[in-house]
Amino acid sequence: MDRIYRVGIDEVPKRLTLNEQEHLRLTFIVMPGVSAEVPFEIKIGKAGVNLEIFGLYLSPRNEQVRFDFTVRHLVGGAHSSQQFRGIVGGSARAEFDGLVYVEQDAQKTEAYQENHAILLSEGAVVESRPQLEIYADDVKCSHGATSGYLNPDELFYLRSRGIPEEEARRMQMISFISPVISHLPEELKEQILSRL
Amino acid sequence: MENLLEIIDLHAGIEGKEILHGINLTVRPGEIHAIMGPNGAGKSTLGAVLAGRPEYTVTSGSVSFNGKDLLAMAPEERSWEGLFLSFQYPIEIPGVSITNFMKAAVNARRKAKGELELAPAQFLKLLKDKMAFVGMKGEFAKREVNVGFSGGEKKRGEIFQMAMLDPVCSILDETDSGLDVDALRIVADGVNALRSPEKAILIITHYKHLLELITPDVVHVLKDGRIISTGGMELANKIENDGFEGING
Repeated sequence: MDRIYRVGIDEVPKRLTLNEQEHLRLTFIVMPGVSAEVPFEIKIGKAGVNLEIFGLYLSPRNEQVRFDFTVRHLVGGAHSSQQFRGIVGGSARAEFDGLVYVEQDAQKTEAYQENHAILLSEGAVVESRPQLEIYADDVKCSHGATSGYLNPDELFYLRSRGIPEEEARRMQMISFISPVISHLPEELKEQILSRL
Repeated sequence: MENLLEIIDLHAGIEGKEILHGINLTVRPGEIHAIMGPNGAGKSTLGAVLAGRPEYTVTSGSVSFNGKDLLAMAPEERSWEGLFLSFQYPIEIPGVSITNFMKAAVNARRKAKGELELAPAQFLKLLKDKMAFVGMKGEFAKREVNVGFSGGEKKRGEIFQMAMLDPVCSILDETDSGLDVDALRIVADGVNALRSPEKAILIITHYKHLLELITPDVVHVLKDGRIISTGGMELANKIENDGFEGING
């Protein structure tokens, strides 16, 4: 199942519980100009669940975005991954609080969480607070967070082929967010790319 | 004949440290020059400075290209003017296909020259022709730029880009490093096929192998940021036998 939530446009659930064995893909999109708090908690209550969460935030001006995400593995043998990517500029601020909770009995859980952001200005702020709370001992869990500026080596490579600086930067942004948008329908992808 | 590239007393460096201590080099259309030298001589710095890498600073000297001030141009303007740098370490651009990358590059230059963008069918034909030229199969066009490429594929990819952009002056920065004999042959065949009386090539290399396949007109030895010797192929042979230590200005 594939669900896409455009924050500020679509109704975004605050809580979900998965009691069926299923493959669920959730995508949360925050477009430029949208400031929002996005609290979300999902409980995995069935072995064999495969949950993929994608998040994209484009906050180039003065937006304030906060994700507060909790994934609770109540039973073992399930898989969850969260991948967030954002581009933050101007005086915008993006916060990511992510908790992965693994119950004592939830052995053989696999849970991954990542938040990566590109800063377009010195005034932009990204704060990542990933947390793992794991009570089972036979699990595979990891989290990672990075923030940084556009890679100057990439930029030079593109420009050396005659691509003007502005367009080259845009290509770098497309490159950066591609892991969280590549599965989206063409039309929505185009809409997102047109806002970079 | 007019000089295509004229470097006069070029001093340049990075982070306040001078690496090139006065380079003089003149390249005419149709010529192939090899620049050989040991590690740290400044070979790659020369390529980077000519292509306009922003991290490098030129402290004095001049470079004219097609009679224009090369150093005053942005990297993309140098490309539009017909300069091409084949990277020693080609950069990966995940999520951007070879097709989209090349479409952007080809059309940006056409736009800069006041030409219309290539029609999609024309572009695809150009892409296919040049892929065949370097022996790349159809799926190559869809691959992400340099992502998951082998060493040989990366270098062939650079020659492919060179063929797509049809530059008047190409700088090959250690395009031969890390290549096996077959890959070296493909690169050399590609470069040889792009030779013409109007075009020039600068080959930066450690070794003689590539120069045996692409015969240079002039060989320079770069050491400690200066060209200390200039000659013909016999200079490359001497280096192969005696090493760079034996070459003196």
